[in-house]
Amino acid sequence: MIDKRLCVLLLALVAGCRHRVSLQEIPASEIETTIFFVGDAGEQDPRQVGSPLDSLAAQASVAPWRNIIVYLGDNVYPAGIPAEGAAEWADARRRLEAEVRAIPPGVRGIFIPGNHDWSNATEFGLYSMRLQERMIASLAGGRDIRLVPSNGCPGPVPLDIGRVRIIALDTQWWLHAFIVRDSLSNCAASTTAQVTGALREQVRPSGKGRVVFVAAHHPLMTGGMHGGYCGITGPFRRFGGQSQDIMSSGNKTMRDSLRSAFAGRPPLAFIAGHDHNLQVLRGGLNVDYVLVSGAGSESKTECAVRLRESYYASQHHAGFMRIDVMRGKGVLLRVFRYPAGRTGGLAYTRWLELR
Amino acid sequence: MNSRTSSIPAAARVAARSLWIVGILAATEVARGQATEPPPLFAFEATPIGALPPMALPMPASRDYNYWGLRLQAGQRRDRGLEDLLAVAGGVDLQMRGGSIFGLTGGYQWRQHCQSTITDCGGHSIYGARARFNILTAGPTIAGLWGDGDATTTVGTEMGIGYAPRVTPDVNACTFDTGVPLSVATGERFRFVSFITPGLVWDVECSGQGKPAARSFFLGGGLGIQQLGFRGLDVQVGLQRVFRGSSGMQLGVSVTWVRLP
Repeated sequence: MIDKRLCVLLLALVAGCRHRVSLQEIPASEIETTIFFVGDAGEQDPRQVGSPLDSLAAQASVAPWRNIIVYLGDNVYPAGIPAEGAAEWADARRRLEAEVRAIPPGVRGIFIPGNHDWSNATEFGLYSMRLQERMIASLAGGRDIRLVPSNGCPGPVPLDIGRVRIIALDTQWWLHAFIVRDSLSNCAASTTAQVTGALREQVRPSGKGRVVFVAAHHPLMTGGMHGGYCGITGPFRRFGGQSQDIMSSGNKTMRDSLRSAFAGRPPLAFIAGHDHNLQVLRGGLNVDYVLVSGAGSESKTECAVRLRESYYASQHHAGFMRIDVMRGKGVLLRVFRYPAGRTGGLAYTRWLELR
Repeated sequence: MNSRTSSIPAAARVAARSLWIVGILAATEVARGQATEPPPLFAFEATPIGALPPMALPMPASRDYNYWGLRLQAGQRRDRGLEDLLAVAGGVDLQMRGGSIFGLTGGYQWRQHCQSTITDCGGHSIYGARARFNILTAGPTIAGLWGDGDATTTVGTEMGIGYAPRVTPDVNACTFDTGVPLSVATGERFRFVSFITPGLVWDVECSGQGKPAARSFFLGGGLGIQQLGFRGLDVQVGLQRVFRGSSGMQLGVSVTWVRLP
């Protein structure tokens, strides 16, 4: 009898450790700012925009004045915006237009560059970035939707929305093997040391109760293909020298630099895409949480391995992440994935705790 | 050749030479001129591969860190037709860059309910070193067959060496083993892991008494829970059978704790 009671008690304790929250449980009046993070969304179905962008748009259209949608790079597959007149130009525009249209009126939109936007990391990358910036401005039609950092610059660019600060970084600028600046560049930071220095300053905003997120395309940690998982070649990818992978020396140098900038004042979360899945991870050194939200294109979803650091990992599902900064001190993360199950797409919730 | 039938000193020496390790204190028993038959002990039964339970491949982790972990294991080898063997051990593991793991083990093995009139029923220490390499860590694969789309499948390879000094007064037990373990981890709120560990174990000569003669296939398996309450804590139970003679069945429990930053 005692054993039975003990088992019940243990089960209750364990079950109680993770309280699931549904959308209905959060009164809208308590939400100060909502940020939607979706990455690698540049391959929408040409016939219809389905999940997750339609679901994201539906949620963001509620109280749009407090909502921000952040596209985490790879906004246009396979190689960003080509030169006007190229055969691929119209389809590239179609892909970007689908994402801009998913931003409801009144909602701010931020596009962050990814490696595919840099012309799939080739020589045309810098020019493709400028073309994308102009096209976004054109498609936005005067609304607050823009590419950040702009003009092929690395950033970091701080965006303050109430207590929230989103720092936008172009991590492909770090990894790009071709031209990253020319006579038209006028970047506040133009060396990796300057980027790290600026980042160090920006993660320490003045004011009480500030919530800082760093958004970029390449993750600091991942259990996906770019982390050397999800395939028999995984452990050997380090020998391939692919800068897009976590295990390459160039990528590691970049991540070490970013983490060093966070020392002493870690951002609440480093949010990225790149791997086509959804992951919530404990951040490790100098970052509280690492979020990977790269499942914006249903046709590109991939495997994700649950790591020792993982709180949540979703593979082969499209989706996005929603972060609600509450009027109190709470910050609520919700992960939505599609096709939706009985939970209407809500797959995971977690209160992000400030250190 | 099977030394289990031996009851005279000459037969015991032949068994030792071939590293079919003859029962603990056989020589002592013979020296005492007693008629009791010494129970045999195969080399693999006396080293970590046979004394301790099998374990799942390590849970994958960040490629940026090396993690140290501690391990406690307890095992029982039973249904041998002789008294059961009990073993406890502790170990230290280093998981490198999220995948491969290198571990050292030290422990002690003894006989349960030792009926021998021989004085030395006290057992012996066991030592081992093991390297495990995750070759493929991927998505559901196998677990996808029963509908868990968030499972992780891990296939790897492992190599281990084992050593147990003075298993009998003049015999040390040494083994080398290699295997191809496979693990499937499922679930989100609780991470259940099931695993199998097929492999081969060789008795290795280390007593200076002759060439070893034995190689055996073994098959292990088990179940466990990863991240049990704490993200670094795993608990597993395992079974293993080495297909040689009536060496019985190995079962036991392993508890590991990984130190995370």
